[in-house]
Amino acid sequence: MNHKEIDTDVLVVGGGGAGFRAAIGAREKGVETLLLSKGPLGRCGATPMAGADYTLDGNSLRKLGFYGEPKDSMQTFFEDIVKQGFYLNNQELLEQYVTTAPDRLRELLEWGVAPVRSEERAIFTTGIGMMDALIGQAKKLGVRTLEDVMLLELITQDGQVVGALGLDIASGQFLRFHAKAVIIASGGWHKAFWPNTGMRDLAGDGTAMALRAGAELGNMEFITFCCNVLYGPPHVLGSIASYIFSLRCAGELTNQEGERFLNQYDPSMVHIGTHMEWNKCFISLATTKEVRAGKGSPKGGIYYGRGDLPYEQWARQVQVSFPNWKYKHIDLKDIVASIEAGKPIEVGPAVEYFDGGIIIDGKFQSNLPGLFAAGECTLGPFGANRVCAATTEMLVHGAAAGERAGEYAQGAPEPVKYSEKFQALEDAATAPLRRQEGLNVAQVRRRVQEMAHKRLGPIRTEAELKEFLAFLDEVQTRQLPHLATASKSRNYNKEWVDSLELANLLQLLETSAKSALLRTESRGVHYREDHPYTDNDNWLKETVATLDGEITIGTRPVRITSLAPNPGRKPYFEMLQEMMEGHSEVGGHH
Amino acid sequence: MSQKEINVNIYRYDAAQDAEPRYDSYQVPWEPGMSAMDVLDYVYQNLDSTVAYYDHAGCALGICARCAGKINGKSGLLCQTLVDGDVVLEPAVKSRVIKDLVCARGGK
Repeated sequence: MNHKEIDTDVLVVGGGGAGFRAAIGAREKGVETLLLSKGPLGRCGATPMAGADYTLDGNSLRKLGFYGEPKDSMQTFFEDIVKQGFYLNNQELLEQYVTTAPDRLRELLEWGVAPVRSEERAIFTTGIGMMDALIGQAKKLGVRTLEDVMLLELITQDGQVVGALGLDIASGQFLRFHAKAVIIASGGWHKAFWPNTGMRDLAGDGTAMALRAGAELGNMEFITFCCNVLYGPPHVLGSIASYIFSLRCAGELTNQEGERFLNQYDPSMVHIGTHMEWNKCFISLATTKEVRAGKGSPKGGIYYGRGDLPYEQWARQVQVSFPNWKYKHIDLKDIVASIEAGKPIEVGPAVEYFDGGIIIDGKFQSNLPGLFAAGECTLGPFGANRVCAATTEMLVHGAAAGERAGEYAQGAPEPVKYSEKFQALEDAATAPLRRQEGLNVAQVRRRVQEMAHKRLGPIRTEAELKEFLAFLDEVQTRQLPHLATASKSRNYNKEWVDSLELANLLQLLETSAKSALLRTESRGVHYREDHPYTDNDNWLKETVATLDGEITIGTRPVRITSLAPNPGRKPYFEMLQEMMEGHSEVGGHH
Repeated sequence: MSQKEINVNIYRYDAAQDAEPRYDSYQVPWEPGMSAMDVLDYVYQNLDSTVAYYDHAGCALGICARCAGKINGKSGLLCQTLVDGDVVLEPAVKSRVIKDLVCARGGK
């Protein structure tokens, strides 16, 4: 039989930190909870790759028995994050982040996470450690899980979510899920870009299917590019090991002509923009300017080296993060040898985090009854620029979304099973398998990914965005309908899975590019070369994307609860400096 | 300057329909620092899109450890084992192959 029917009360889509914490929250309400992991349990998505840092205010950190900044407070933490976000933060969601972060850490400690160290506003542990603690707790409570399952589409009736269609990747069998509530916790869509820093499962399946089901997506133009990411050799392309080098020791960044290009910026902006996690925003922007000016390295980046600093000093500062010069399982010895020899390494920006996503209210519900969302896939609390931890976001969101979805499911009727809707979706999904001749998905996808990196990178212009949208339209209308897999067997058919993902990547890129085109200002990680100023008169707004035949973008005002910015318009770099200078000095790296 | 090419032999077997496994051979352009997974990515994208390896949720950075395989007979992670010459790529456990280099997980 080509499909299997599975019933549950709450269906959690995504097995990262947000998904598992949501599953725990739902299960605590006594409802049947099933979590779907696209890959191996606790070892896919972004969470297990995280170093990881977890941010909360220093005072609360101290109350939990760790070293933290005593002069910090929830209020100061809140205000700083608003400055980091250029005042575009949803302050209602930010209050939730700031006030519940300590509770989420306390329970992680109870569930077995062992922190390595802490600083002013952050505690350090591993993403894998967090996953194992969450999985242990979820299993204890009776959360059911399935691995290597990709969710393809949500099923709705009269705007209410009633289930979803999934695929068992190993066998190729369809899974028809019937649920009272669905929580999307599927993370980002890194796979839409090449290079990228993400795991290969992160194709934004959840965000795209939410859009198709009628949910609103917000601020899709805000994409954080990590700076100083390794651009080679091939086996480490996309690794943030070199980003971490640059956090431990700023070293020296040079362009293809050997110029220390940061010298053109204000020294205090460079200092903050290098040593704090503002660097993802600032350095990615500065790097891209060099590349666009024709001073980029062969692979389209810049160079990181130790400059005049003696190797021993560089190594002493950096090696704390790399025991035996290994980053997770990557051997960095050749790269370190290059730095020792005074030969800088090629690095550059690569997509790392999505600041926008599914729009949720204070109860973590989307505009679709029964559809909740948590974590990176949402439009979260960070506004125009994330500096603080997404690991905190995933847990504060997961707990609340899970609890709400669980309560919702308690009161919801048994979902109706619309087999004809499932059948129609299954037929559409098998099209690339049935087509005898057609286009190779990998080649189409790589062209799309490389264009996305160029046109939707840290620096955007109207002309390039329009060109990109025309390109996406061409791919969606002339190439996507003609994809054909060379292999027709359904078990572990990599080409088939890639074909199913490509539609999601294209929709998300289109949504993002249209949003970037609409926002005619520069703020945080969205920089318009043709509108290089921050406009607090016209743009204290979130962009809102909906799909109704076609994708259209509107706006809505930012949710401000306590902190409003000064009105007026300012050149971007002046505004960036103002935000940095308005930031407190008690945050350490955050 | 001509590009160095390596010969890559890949174990092919579809548990759902093949009676016997076979090895298929490919010529792949080589550059320093290529891993076995980079080699597979090249084959999949440019030469033969029917090749299957654990990819749909891989990290390619040595963290998830799901790309275990045999590279020239020696067990290792495909994404972190560097290749610098002709190479034979085989599944980690032949008795558990679903397709090509993808094995079912044991002891679920």
